Amino acid sequence: MSEAIGVGRRRRWFGGREGAQKRFVAGVTLPAVAFMAVFSLLPIVWAFALAFFDFSPRRAGSPFLGLGGDNPFVGLEHFKAMTDFSADQPIQVSQFHTAVKVTLAFAFLVVPLNLAITLPLAAMIESVHTRVKPIFRTIFFLPVLASSVGVAIIWGFVLHPQNGLLNGAITRITGKTTQIAWISDPSLVYLGIPVALLAVLVAYLWQDIGYNLVIFIAALQAIPQSVKDAARVDGASAWQTFRHITLPLLKPTILLASILTMISAFQVFDLFQVMTDGGPQDQTRALSLDIYRNAFRYQQMGWAAAVSVVLFAIVFVISLAQTRLLRNRWEY
Amino acid sequence: MATTSERIGPTERVQVAPARRQGVGRYRAGRISLYVVLAVLGIVAAMPFVWMILSSFKTAEEIRRIPPTFWPEQATLDNYRTILDDPELPLALFYRNSAFVAVMNTLATLFTGSILGYIFAKFRFRGRQALFWFILATMMIPSQVTMLPGYLILLQLNLLNNLWGLIVPSFVDAFAIFVMRQFILSIPNDESSSARVDGASEWRIYRSVVLPQLGAPLATLGMLTFMFNWNAYLWPLIVLTEQNKRTLPIILTWYSTQHSSQDNLVMAASVLIVIPVLFVFALSQKWIVRGLTLTGGR
Repeated sequence: MSEAIGVGRRRRWFGGREGAQKRFVAGVTLPAVAFMAVFSLLPIVWAFALAFFDFSPRRAGSPFLGLGGDNPFVGLEHFKAMTDFSADQPIQVSQFHTAVKVTLAFAFLVVPLNLAITLPLAAMIESVHTRVKPIFRTIFFLPVLASSVGVAIIWGFVLHPQNGLLNGAITRITGKTTQIAWISDPSLVYLGIPVALLAVLVAYLWQDIGYNLVIFIAALQAIPQSVKDAARVDGASAWQTFRHITLPLLKPTILLASILTMISAFQVFDLFQVMTDGGPQDQTRALSLDIYRNAFRYQQMGWAAAVSVVLFAIVFVISLAQTRLLRNRWEY
Repeated sequence: MATTSERIGPTERVQVAPARRQGVGRYRAGRISLYVVLAVLGIVAAMPFVWMILSSFKTAEEIRRIPPTFWPEQATLDNYRTILDDPELPLALFYRNSAFVAVMNTLATLFTGSILGYIFAKFRFRGRQALFWFILATMMIPSQVTMLPGYLILLQLNLLNNLWGLIVPSFVDAFAIFVMRQFILSIPNDESSSARVDGASEWRIYRSVVLPQLGAPLATLGMLTFMFNWNAYLWPLIVLTEQNKRTLPIILTWYSTQHSSQDNLVMAASVLIVIPVLFVFALSQKWIVRGLTLTGGR
């Protein structure tokens, strides 16, 4: 009998039991909507509202979300202050400028370096014998599973000026006692980039390459062997096959991977907090660290919210670029 | 590896043969150097873990030596004994805290992700599109934006410094809903329809017809969620302030600042905290790998 009612409907699913189905959908969806209103929508609205107030969680403020009262509305003051480049700018503004520079340098270095490592590595792992493939994949993937706090502590010890593995190895090789303070000497700068930032970058790459590696290996496996064979038969060298056959076929994957990599690079917190604590001299003060400190150490939540809105804007623009670019992904 | 000659017909083979014969020596040299390069890179990549494990067996005197030794001269388990006997560091408690948060979050995420994913995939109702777009949009918001009001909300709900504060706000997970929806879209409706004809309730159809078909995505999603929560640092750092409520990553940073001059102890603590889970998940990495390639998710 349900068939009879269902006939003529676009989806026969609803046939005959609409009442029960509606109750089921409502019974699941309404609590979820109520939950998301409190834990998804409210935080977003509240975060943007906070950015326009001089807010501290220590002050009571007005009954409405604590906004107003002792936590006065300041309008666009926070954002105006961010564009203050004068010599007597407040310390939080100069720290914000440092954080933007550090984060941009970090994110724009991570992506090309990550791809330069993962693409050839994926191609190499993909071409070894199936028996040993899982061994290599596991070695490079393990750090992805490790806690980033553990990663920060391990690398802090590897780079320890006196007892670290790196200086120890350099001492062995050169015969001269080397005690370079990789992550704590502010005077160490290479190509305009603080060495401490490069050290965090190396640790992050070490931890992060496993993701893209796995994604690229899967994409390589999806390319039919016959396509590559055809090129080889036509006399193409291994490099030419990779350059003119494999690489173009991988382009959509590379695009997606590079954007995901960049978005997560903008939000790195754990390594900056545990490995360098933003130091030396704020050389590794990333935006996420700046937000955390303003909000929870200096109790400047309004300012922290404004900085987080800037971080959101950066990530949002990149995500938009992602959807724009990915729309054309099937042009090959 | 399949060679070219296996795949092409006899006529072509005649044409290609001379070029191939010259190439065999070079091919073998290429294979060997490929393995050498990979092995060297693998050793470099594994070195930080190896160094951590080796250092955890060194004595306090040896760990301070300049230049450092690589292999422990007198391997000792004293560091582990010290840590396990430290009354300030009840590791069992912190393992329990971490496991509680990770397991609860995983169960909640799997339940809400599968049932909401099912509803978004198979039912039509008013506001469905808008709600789904909202859920997708929340994935684009960095956690650094929502963590400030998130803290204030927990303050209001009196859930700060409470392990439930790490669980309640993540009950409904946008990523989980999205992944499950994508998977459930590909499941045919026949079985649900016939169960409906047989008079099964909607809840029963979800539980006995839909859920049993979700084994693979649930396993992958479960592992990703577990690992994410087990390793989480920033949010627990904000929510938990009392020592005995803390989770393992926070305890590890606390311990390393307390014992900054005793790296042998810090390394042993890192081994105890980082390695066991690593081991468990390395064994099941097939699922995680499959999930990552399905979703491209981080």
